[in-house]
Amino acid sequence: MTAARRVPGITGLAAALAILLLPAAAAAAQEDFALSEPGAHMWRWATVDQRTFARAAPNPGARVVARVSTLTPEKTPEALPLLARREVDGRLWVRVRLPVLPNGTTGWVLRDRLGGYQTVRTHLIVDRRRLTARLERRGRTVFRARIGIGQSRWPTPRGSFMIRNRLSGFNDPVYGVLAFGTTARSATLTDWPGGGFIGVHGTSRPDILPGRVSHGCIRMSNADIRRLDRRMPVGTPVSVR
Amino acid sequence: MPDTLSLDVIDADGAIRETAAAAAGDTRARFLAKAGLLGGGLVGSSALLGLNPATAGAQGKSDIAILNFALTLEYLEAAFYTEAESMGALDGELALFAEVVGAHERAHVKALKAALGSNAVARPRFNFRGTTESASGFAATAQVLEDTGVAAYAGQAPRVKSTAILKAALAIHTVEARHASWIRDINDAPPAPAVFDSPLSMRAVLAAVADTRFIVPARRRRRRRPRRDTPPAPRFTG
Repeated sequence: MTAARRVPGITGLAAALAILLLPAAAAAAQEDFALSEPGAHMWRWATVDQRTFARAAPNPGARVVARVSTLTPEKTPEALPLLARREVDGRLWVRVRLPVLPNGTTGWVLRDRLGGYQTVRTHLIVDRRRLTARLERRGRTVFRARIGIGQSRWPTPRGSFMIRNRLSGFNDPVYGVLAFGTTARSATLTDWPGGGFIGVHGTSRPDILPGRVSHGCIRMSNADIRRLDRRMPVGTPVSVR
Repeated sequence: MPDTLSLDVIDADGAIRETAAAAAGDTRARFLAKAGLLGGGLVGSSALLGLNPATAGAQGKSDIAILNFALTLEYLEAAFYTEAESMGALDGELALFAEVVGAHERAHVKALKAALGSNAVARPRFNFRGTTESASGFAATAQVLEDTGVAAYAGQAPRVKSTAILKAALAIHTVEARHASWIRDINDAPPAPAVFDSPLSMRAVLAAVADTRFIVPARRRRRRRPRRDTPPAPRFTG
C-alpha cells in the first residue's frame, strides 16, 4: 500500500482520507459479505441518508427495483434491513430488503446513501398458526404474547421483515396505545392509507384475542405491547411464519 | 444533509458541542453543575490511568473538558475498530492491528468514562461511510485517525492542570503513538516521519473530525406545534 506515503499531513483529515482512499477505486469486484447473520443472532440495519434507487444488481446501470425514500409514510427515518455488501469497481453496494410489494423484494443501493450501520440482537417471531408472538434476544426467548392476526381475506403476510419505527402518544380503539411499523405490506389492502403497511400494535379490545381479527396487523393487549416496547428496539427483524 | 457541515450540524447528543464549549471557557450552569459532581465516578478502570477520586476530584472544569475531548476521540476510534473487526474486510496484519488497537481504544474509553463519571459526554452515533468495509479504506483511515490522536493529545498535554490527569494523558498518548507507527509501517509509510511532531489544538481536531462526517448529525427537532389532545393514530392496516 505504497499510496499511504502520500499522506499530506493530519490537519486536513478529510482531504487526507480522500487521497488515501483512492486505491480502492481500482479494486475489482469482490464476493458478497453477509451483513446479517441470523445463525449468530446478529442483524444489521441502517437509515437512508439520501433518497436513491434500489437496483437489481450492484451496478449503476442495472434495472431499478424501487425508489428508496429517506422517510416512511409516518415521517420517521426510513430504516432498511441489510443483507450483504459487495465492492464493485471501488464502490460499495449493499443489498437491502425493500418495503415494497411483493414482500421479500431485495435490491442493491450504494453504501454512501445509507447511514451508519446499527446492530440488533433481538428477533420477533410471529406464529400465525399458534397465534403467538415471541421475542428472542441472542436466541433466548424474553417475551411471549397471544396475538390477533389478519382475517383470511386480509392475511398477515408471511416472510422476513423488520421493525422500522415506533409510534406512541395516541390512544385508539384499534391501535391501542403504542404501535411498531414494519416493512411488511398487505398484498390485499394495497390502497390502504399510508401504503397498507403491517403494524404490531396494542388494542383496547383484548377480549377478542387471540384470533384472526385484523386487517393484517399483529395485535396484542396494551399491557403486552408496553412489555414488548421495553425489550424490542427499532431494527429488530420480524419473521412471520 | 448539507454539503458542508459545521460543528453545530454534526454534534450528536451534545458531545462535541459540550467539549468545545467547555474548552472555550463556557460557564453554562449545567456544565458547572456536572463539574461539581466530579469524583463520584472514579472507580474501576480509572485506576489503570493512575486516577483515583482523591487526586482527580480536585480538577477544574478545563481538565474535565480535556478529558471529555479525549473521550470523544476515543469513542470515535473504538467504534471505528469495533466496526472494522466485524466487517470481514481485513486479514493478516491489518486484522491483527484492528483487534489489538480496538481493544486498546475500548479500554481507553472505559477508563476515561470511569474517570469522568457523571461528567462524561455521551457517545455519539457514527457512520464510517464504508471505510471499515475495505482493507485499503481501513488502513488509510486508521493511519489518519492515529496520527490525529497523537497530535491531539500532544496539543492538550500542556493545558492540563492536574499532575494525575497529565500522567494519565501521557499514558494514552504514547500508546496512540505506537498505534500510529504500527499502522504507518503496515501502510509502508515512514513510522517516525518527523524529528519533532506538531501538536493540534482542540478546535483544529474537532473541525477535522467534523470534516470526515463520521459523527452522525443529531436530528433537528421540529418546532413543537400546539399540541392536540392526542396525536393521530397510525395508518397501519389495523
